[in-house]
Amino acid sequence: MELSRRDALAALSAAGIAATAGCSSLLGDEGTETAAEETDEATATATDAPTDAPTETPADEASSMDTMVALAEVLYPSEVEPTESFVQTYLYGRIYAEEAYAGEVDSGIETLNGLANDEAGDDFHALSADERVSVIENTDLRTGDSVHDGSDVERVNYHLVDELLFAFYSSPVGGEMVGTQNPRGFPGGYGYSPPLDQ
Amino acid sequence: MSATDKTPAEDPDVCVVGAGPASALLSHCLAKRGHDVVILEAGPRFDLDERIERMKRQIHPDRADNEIWDMGGERDAYTTSGDHSWLINQRRVKGVGGTSLHWGSVVPRLYEKDFEMESRHGIARDWPISYEDLQPYYAEAEQEIGVAGPDDAPFFPPREEEYPMDPLAPSYSDKLFARAGEALDIEVHSMPMAINTGEYDRNECQGYGTCQFVCPSGGKYTADIHVRKAEREGATLITEAVVQRLNHGPAGEEITEAVYETPDGETHRQKADVFVAAAGAYETPRLLFLSESGEYPNGLANSSGTLGKYFMGHPPAGVVGVLPNEETHVDSYGPVVSSGIHQFYEYDDPDDPKRGSVNIFLTNVSGPSPATLAMAEESVGDELLESVDLQFGSTLQANMSVEMLPREDNQITVDDSQTDSYGNPVPDVDISPSEFARRGQVRGTEAVSEIIEEMGGTVVYADGTLTVEHDEMPPIAKGGYHPLGGSRMGEDPAESVVDPNLQTHDLENLYVSGGGVFVTSGASNPTLTIMALSLKAADHIDEQL
Ligand SMILES: Cc1cc2nc3c(=O)[nH]c(=O)nc-3n(C[C@H](O)[C@H](O)[C@H](O)COP(=O)(O)OP(=O)(O)OC[C@H]3O[C@@H](n4cnc5c(N)ncnc54)[C@H](O)[C@@H]3O)c2cc1C
Repeated sequence: MELSRRDALAALSAAGIAATAGCSSLLGDEGTETAAEETDEATATATDAPTDAPTETPADEASSMDTMVALAEVLYPSEVEPTESFVQTYLYGRIYAEEAYAGEVDSGIETLNGLANDEAGDDFHALSADERVSVIENTDLRTGDSVHDGSDVERVNYHLVDELLFAFYSSPVGGEMVGTQNPRGFPGGYGYSPPLDQ
Repeated sequence: MSATDKTPAEDPDVCVVGAGPASALLSHCLAKRGHDVVILEAGPRFDLDERIERMKRQIHPDRADNEIWDMGGERDAYTTSGDHSWLINQRRVKGVGGTSLHWGSVVPRLYEKDFEMESRHGIARDWPISYEDLQPYYAEAEQEIGVAGPDDAPFFPPREEEYPMDPLAPSYSDKLFARAGEALDIEVHSMPMAINTGEYDRNECQGYGTCQFVCPSGGKYTADIHVRKAEREGATLITEAVVQRLNHGPAGEEITEAVYETPDGETHRQKADVFVAAAGAYETPRLLFLSESGEYPNGLANSSGTLGKYFMGHPPAGVVGVLPNEETHVDSYGPVVSSGIHQFYEYDDPDDPKRGSVNIFLTNVSGPSPATLAMAEESVGDELLESVDLQFGSTLQANMSVEMLPREDNQITVDDSQTDSYGNPVPDVDISPSEFARRGQVRGTEAVSEIIEEMGGTVVYADGTLTVEHDEMPPIAKGGYHPLGGSRMGEDPAESVVDPNLQTHDLENLYVSGGGVFVTSGASNPTLTIMALSLKAADHIDEQL
């Protein structure tokens, strides 16, 4: 299953970055019927973000997207394919909305590439999926602490790994894989429940 | 006033300390009637836009609940000295809206018997007011904050009018509980919730499922709403203004000024005709103790010697069950609570109530969310999905708050051995368990366990806080959610701190608003009662001015 822009927009609205952020231009027609409609004053946290965000990916951001997609690919179940547009849409929203977060992504990728080079001799996104999993398994990624203002690796765990996990498991696609359409953290409406015995 | 101008307001009628639920409706009510009101609030005004980020702190497995609203550190230092250590910085928020930013918004009223424990049941003592005295104020508070509630719920005390909004629709797990309850003659019913389903002038609930501890949509009522309304009526709000003490005039009859400090290190003096201490049940007694003087050597408003005493909580208990092979979270549901069970609020034997009343609320989101589980795991990919799936989706949960009797030795004092960032002695919470409440917890956990077993489920946790293992419990299971007592209400100045209008017996222009004035605890979540009492006090202040 491909994770689409539409899925990213849903995840974005969970993360409070609505379609009014830089990602609106990435939306295309596909997404208009989803999260954008549910957006209101409160979820549109990024109203201060530039609305004239570039529609094309600048070079350095393109490679950071490669890294994030490469990371999401190994974090997410094999059944789903975190396309660039999913990650890009989700993360662009945040990157444009929050300068501080953009900084965390940049330095996190540097840390990740450092670990990847030590382990397997290349940048993280250039490694095979198995190699990427090995990098994770042989370092403190995942197993180590996840701290927003901690050491380099702890910050990667918090700002990159956990952020991508939040994007997926707080969205309807991730939620449904574990049995809920409206996982906590996602604004999926408040009052519907099916009758018993369904 | 701009957020940076922290100088005192000029010649106001009323100065209110604190901007939580005990302050907000009262301040709005007085401002609306044309009085000049100034609110001094220790914390900041939080940005609505930041709530998503705070919600993510709540969902992140490695962040403590006090981090959500930036609590902790030297400003908020405290000690505990009873048998039970309480994590009070996980149980309060300092900022505009106070702890309601954090709350679950379950808003039942107290019961008639809660006001008459001594005359009806021969225990504790009666309030100097009855349920009927408070009834119109309950209705007013419900209208103000917007409550979705059941008009026909069994057991609830009498109502004079309908709830402002229809009750929330039942969640899937509510339905499972109701069906099994029916087989056992235990009635499951809607609970009154301060959540906007569309009729109020704030955002509608959007279903984030994180009401406690952050509502990103703003559908949950938070007291910053009435602070804003008060400002629109002309009230002045001064944030990050930490009141250090209240000073009185030479004869000691009246308070003349509130002394507060601002982040720039400046000390300011706010004068007013009337003062309302609404700093929460942990901080209000401390403020009065810190305001001791030659005339009041044991603290302000404490000639009875009861200040800080008869402190209570609602010792929580919870039951978690698993329904093997069944998905219990198949709905699109937001509010954390929508139904409850008040059948065990009544005593089994009214002539000899051996146990506390029990207020059970069923939670629609049991256990950690999928994202929390995923972040907490160490695996990736399919293995990760499998372990999240294994842990999520078949759980059921009920939480309960239980009545606790007032006891003189359960108390808030100041601890001189430690100081906060202003050099003031910190509050000390001294609270120890009681059998009366413990037996209430047992009754409630047994009832919920029976229901879960009736469904074919397995109970994996059923416990309350009042055991010797308390300090080993996970933070969320510990007490401290509903601080009550410590500045209790009464007719007799020798035995209480405030009168039925919340006016202190000792100083005619000083009022105390908040859970501190409760004489007994009941079991209902206390905040609607706190707000109703504050509206009653506002009427009285209005007459006095
Ligand atoms: C997790 C949680 C869930 C809850 N859920 C519910 C629920 O579902 N239903 C319910 O009825 N109740 C609930 N409660 C309880 C509810 O939050 C409190 O009853 C309510 O907030 C008390 O209101 P208050 O205004 O007295 O105190 P607070 O809300 O604590 O506000 C006090 C304010 O005073 C300020 N202050 C303190 N000291 C000073 C000072 N020296 N100078 C200036 N300002 C000061 C503080 O910064 C704070 O903003 C819950 C509580 C918690 C912790």
